[in-house]
Amino acid sequence: MVPTSNYLLLAAALFCMGMLGVLVRRNALVVFMCVELMLNASNLTFLAFARHRGDMTGHISAFFVIAVAAAEAAIGLAIVIAVFRSRGTLNVDDIRTMRH
Amino acid sequence: MRVPSIPAADFLPLVPAIILLVGACVLLMTEVFLRSPSRGYQAPLSLFFTGLAGAVSLSSAFEPARPVFQGFAAQDPFSSAVTLVVCVALGLAVLTSSGFLRSRNAERGEFYALMLFAASGMSLLAMSTELITLFINIEVLSVGTYALTSYLRRGTRPAEAGFKYFILGAFSSAILLYGAALLYGATGSTKLSEMAVVLPAALAAQPALVYAGALLVAGGFAFKVAAVPFHMWTPDVYEGAPTPVTALMSAGVKAAAFAAMIRVFLVLGKGMDPSVPLALFSGLAYLTMIVGNLLALPQRNVKRMLAYSSIGHAGYLLVGVAALFVTAEAPAGDGFRFFGATPLLAPGLSEVAARADALKGLLFYLLAYTVTTVGSFGVLAALERSEDEPKGTAWDLDRFAGLAQRRPGWAFAMAVFMLSLGGVPPTVGFMGKLLIFRSAVDTGLVGLAVVGVLTSAAAIYYYLRVVVAMYMRPAPEDERIPVTLSWGTELALALSALAVVVLGILPGTVTDWLQQASTLWLGQ
Repeated sequence: MVPTSNYLLLAAALFCMGMLGVLVRRNALVVFMCVELMLNASNLTFLAFARHRGDMTGHISAFFVIAVAAAEAAIGLAIVIAVFRSRGTLNVDDIRTMRH
Repeated sequence: MRVPSIPAADFLPLVPAIILLVGACVLLMTEVFLRSPSRGYQAPLSLFFTGLAGAVSLSSAFEPARPVFQGFAAQDPFSSAVTLVVCVALGLAVLTSSGFLRSRNAERGEFYALMLFAASGMSLLAMSTELITLFINIEVLSVGTYALTSYLRRGTRPAEAGFKYFILGAFSSAILLYGAALLYGATGSTKLSEMAVVLPAALAAQPALVYAGALLVAGGFAFKVAAVPFHMWTPDVYEGAPTPVTALMSAGVKAAAFAAMIRVFLVLGKGMDPSVPLALFSGLAYLTMIVGNLLALPQRNVKRMLAYSSIGHAGYLLVGVAALFVTAEAPAGDGFRFFGATPLLAPGLSEVAARADALKGLLFYLLAYTVTTVGSFGVLAALERSEDEPKGTAWDLDRFAGLAQRRPGWAFAMAVFMLSLGGVPPTVGFMGKLLIFRSAVDTGLVGLAVVGVLTSAAAIYYYLRVVVAMYMRPAPEDERIPVTLSWGTELALALSALAVVVLGILPGTVTDWLQQASTLWLGQ
C-alpha cells in the first residue's frame, strides 16, 4: 500500500506547480489551467487524509470542490472569450489597459 | 445507516438567503416570459426582495446564538447583522444601477439576478461554520461578482477587469481550499466547532501542518478583503467593473469576507497561541493602512482613488480584527511588542467585554463604510459618461470641477461622503474610526491606533481634493451635464447621505443594537 505521505507530497508538488504557473505563464488559458491544478491538488490532499483517517468527510468535500470547479470553469471560459473578442490576444502581458 | 434529521427550525436562519435566491429566479423568469421591452419593473422588484430579506434578518437578529444543520452553520446576531449590512449595500447598489444601466442600454434581468445571487452567497458566508460550506459560499458570491464585473463585456476595460478578478479570485480560493485541506488533515474534521476541540492535541502532534493550514486560509481571506500585500487586483478590478458593481464589491463582499475571516480565526484562535493571529492581523493592518493610503495620494482618477481608499479602510478593519485576539494574560516572552506597548487589556476590562467592544466597532465600521462608499460610487455612476470610458477619463478629477454650481445636491452628497471616508465629525465615518481605535487602545494596541490616526489624517488630503474641485474650481466650458436623471440614483444618494449624517450624530440606537449583535456561536 502506498503510504499517505507520498500522496501528500504529490499534492504539494502539484499545488506549487499550479501556483508557479499562475505567476509565470503568460497565456490566459494556461494560467486558468494552473488554477485548476491547484484546486485538484487540494482535492488530492483531502482524499489522502480521508483515506488515512478512514473518514468520509474528505471524500464528500472533493465532490463539492469538483462541482465548484466546474462552475468556475464555465464563468472563466466565458470571460476568456470576452477578453479574446475585445482584443484578439490571450497574452496576459497585453491585457493591461488600466495602468497608472 | 443513520440518516441525519434536520429540524424545520434549522431552515429559519436561511430565510433571508432563500428570499434573495427566489428573487433572483423570479427576475430571470421575467426575462424569459415577459415580452414587454420595458425593464423599469426590475429595479423595484429587486428592491422588494432585498428589503424583505433585510427585514427578515433584522427580525431574527435578537435570537440566541445556536448551531444549525449539525454545526455546518450558525444562527447568531453577528450573522444577522452582516446580512443586514449586505442588504443595505445591495439595496443602494440596485437603486444606482437602474439609471446606470438605462443610460448604457444594458438593462437586462440577469444583472439584478446576479446581484441577488451574489448577495445570497454573502449572507450564507456570514453564517458558515464549516470549511467546505464556507468555500462553496465564497464561490457563490465570487462567481456572481465575476460575471457582474465583465457584464458590459463589449468594452475592453470590463473584460480585462473581469479576467483579472477571475484569475486572482480563483487563485485565492484555491489557496484557501488547500489551507482547509491541511487543517482537515491535522484535525480530522472540517467543522470549526470540532476543530477547536481537537486543535490543541493536533498542534502538539503536527504544529507545522496546523500553522501552514491556518496561514494559507488567512492568505486566501487576505485576498478577498484586499489586504496588502494581496491587494494588487483591487484598483484594476474596481476601475474596470460597472460602477454599481464596484459599490457592491467594496461594501458587500468586504463585509461578508471579514465576517467569515473573524469567525474562522476566533475559533482557530481558541486552540492555538492567540499571539499568532494577533501578530498576523497586526502586521496585515500596519501594511494595509500605510500602503493603501499612500497609493491613494497621487491618484487623479477618482474611481481608482476610491479603490485604494477601500484598501486603506480594510486596514482599519484589520485593526479591529487584531484587537479581538488580545488576551488578559501577557503573552509568553516579549516577542510581540508594538511601539513599546505590550498588547494587554486595559485594567478592569474583561476579555469577553473587550472582544464584544471590538466586534461592535467592526460591525459599526462595516455599516458606516457601506453607506458611505456605496453613496460615493453612486455619485460617480451618475457623473460618468459611457463615451469617455475607452479614453479612461470618465472618472478624472476634472469631471468634478464646478459640480457645486451645476448639481448642488450631488456635490453636497459627495462632500458628505468624502468627509465621512476621511473620518471627519459629525459623520458616520468618524464614529466608526472612533469605535475601532478606542478598542485598539483599550486592548493595548497603541501602535496600531497611532498609525491608524496618522494615515487617516494623510487620507484627508486626497478626499478633500475632490471637495475642493467641486466647490472651488470653475466648471470647464464644454462640460456637458449627464442628462440621464433617474429617481433611483437620486434616492440612493439622498438615503446614503442622510444615513451618513444621522448615524454620525445619533449613533446610539445602532451601537446599542450592535452591542447585542456582537455575540457569535463559536462552538461549545
